[in-house]
Amino acid sequence: MSSAVHIPSTDAATSLRAAQAARARQARRTRLFLLAPALGVIGVFGLFPLSIALVYSFLEPGTYGGVEWVFSYDAYVQFLFERDIFDDTLAFNSAYLQIFGRSFGLAVTTMIGTLILGFPVAYFIAARPPEQRNFWLFAITLPFWTNLLIRTYSMLLIVRDEGFVNLMLMKIGFIDKPLEMLYTDGAVLAGLIYSYLPFMILPIYASLEKFDFSLLEAGHDLYASRTQVFRHIIVPITRPGIIAGCVLVLIPALGAYITPELLGGGKKLMIGNLIALQFGSGRNWPFGAAAALILMAVVLIALLISLRAGSSKEGGHD
Amino acid sequence: MIDVKHVTKRFGEGQTAVTALRDISLTIPEGSFFTLLGPSGCGKTTLLRLIAGFELPTEGEITLDGDSIGHLAPNNRPVNTVFQSYALFPHMSVARNVGFGLEMLKRPKAEIEATIHEMLELVQLGEFASRRVDQLSGGQQQRVALARALAPRPKVLLLDEPLSALDLKLRKGMQSELKRLQNETGITFVFVTHDQSEALAMSDQIAVMSAGAVRQVGTPEEIYTAPQSRFVADFIGDTNIVSATLLGFEGDKASIRFGEGTPLTVQTASTSLKPGAVHVALRPETIDVVDEGADRALLRGAVVDSTYFGAGSQMLVRLDDGVAVLVQVATPRAIGARVGLECDTSMLHVLED
Repeated sequence: MSSAVHIPSTDAATSLRAAQAARARQARRTRLFLLAPALGVIGVFGLFPLSIALVYSFLEPGTYGGVEWVFSYDAYVQFLFERDIFDDTLAFNSAYLQIFGRSFGLAVTTMIGTLILGFPVAYFIAARPPEQRNFWLFAITLPFWTNLLIRTYSMLLIVRDEGFVNLMLMKIGFIDKPLEMLYTDGAVLAGLIYSYLPFMILPIYASLEKFDFSLLEAGHDLYASRTQVFRHIIVPITRPGIIAGCVLVLIPALGAYITPELLGGGKKLMIGNLIALQFGSGRNWPFGAAAALILMAVVLIALLISLRAGSSKEGGHD
Repeated sequence: MIDVKHVTKRFGEGQTAVTALRDISLTIPEGSFFTLLGPSGCGKTTLLRLIAGFELPTEGEITLDGDSIGHLAPNNRPVNTVFQSYALFPHMSVARNVGFGLEMLKRPKAEIEATIHEMLELVQLGEFASRRVDQLSGGQQQRVALARALAPRPKVLLLDEPLSALDLKLRKGMQSELKRLQNETGITFVFVTHDQSEALAMSDQIAVMSAGAVRQVGTPEEIYTAPQSRFVADFIGDTNIVSATLLGFEGDKASIRFGEGTPLTVQTASTSLKPGAVHVALRPETIDVVDEGADRALLRGAVVDSTYFGAGSQMLVRLDDGVAVLVQVATPRAIGARVGLECDTSMLHVLED
């Protein structure tokens, strides 16, 4: 009778293992199935267009736009060098680098400007009683409901020679003749800061919303001055929001097209305008694609460096 | 020594102004464990925040060892606070939290390191120095908050209901821990609580507050055995407050009578009361239950309820004038039975209203 209890153990072990393997296969299939929509979206809307740009950047431009299917890395060479029309020698050409430099300068200034203006606003909203915060957030996001093009045109009306600002300044006798504000870097900067301010305010607000304001009292109590409290407590705790805000402003500001076109008068090229030009009247799709990819690579490298700097700072003692 | 002189604190302006403290004067002796006790909304936390510097007094002055500190910013006062919510810095390690005050005071690195080590040993968290604060339990966070506030060696440590977030067992442990820390450091502790048993167990002196005023200041014994007012008697322990008639005064004692009974000579909170109806405090543990007809009985009534609590029973007796009285007894009488209540007349205490 006792033999019934002693089931040969090897059989049991084998069937158990087989069942486990089947279960694991099933789990893998389910996981793949559930991941499919996300992977599909990333592939179709992310990787696929990017691959087109990558492939196009290594082709030759067609005479009337489009591309010739001939391999060439001329687009990348053109970015840094100028080919002499007669003897085909390459000479260094910094024109495009200057465009990149100016765009970066403007984008970084925009980022700093929105940070300086946005942080106090985010702090102000987070310090309101909870029932009032939604109103202020609504007020901040309200301009989004209007098209960017229309907002930029309105900006144009405000800063032009006969615009609101000049009329006001002349009325109070501050100036005799209109200041030339339109079609300057200042106008572009003002337009960019105005357009991207909410992208700075919202992430900083999100990190301040969870902020425990009794920490400020604890800091003051432990002999920290107002500036020290800001530096040692507020900034480190809201750093994720600040970084997110900076990234959200810097990247679109780098590729901004409408604002420099309208408020800068398209006089000085920005990266966005340069790229747009290549696909339009420039009829050089490969160069446009290459410029776009170079921009992306530079942004990625800058991001990686800043993230690494941020994380090493967090781990250290200050 | 902290001197609070005629301090009034109002929040808001004009019609909507709320007076949190009304002309408060207090002296907190150096090196003592001083407790501000009162129900929520009595102004005890406001007074603590005034001493810390988070609020400024509307009127009056606060001095520390003779120097006026009432209008200094918190970072310019040698006073540190243990917050009710602990308010530990979440982005710093335990050690950096503890060292933050000294770091802001620009003390030498070696001194900061040594103090951090010493403070963490003092609160028995030596091995947690490099942990993040969110990896600690509530009790451990409490100790870090204590160590952080003690590290700069303040003249005064303020504690805002620091034990209210802990469970009962931890709370008992922290009570004796706080007493020990106060003895070892010799720093003046100002402790805010609404828990009267906590106040009685820990304090050298207690200030009982209500509605923005200090009602009584004294040692725990004085507060418990000789409450001055109805409010204090009611707030500390399960005191019975019964009605009596004041006949007059004999020296510093009062002569009173319950109903039509014989005159009794008892202690009194004040000798300036008017003869007539007064309230008398009667602690449940000082009352004996006797037969209704007994000559010794001072008060008479019927048992309306009784609750067994292990070490004995608590009986609720409704007196003939309608006042309910709690009595502690070894063996309760049946509900509905008529009883007489007797008590040691030296434990009776006439109250101010």
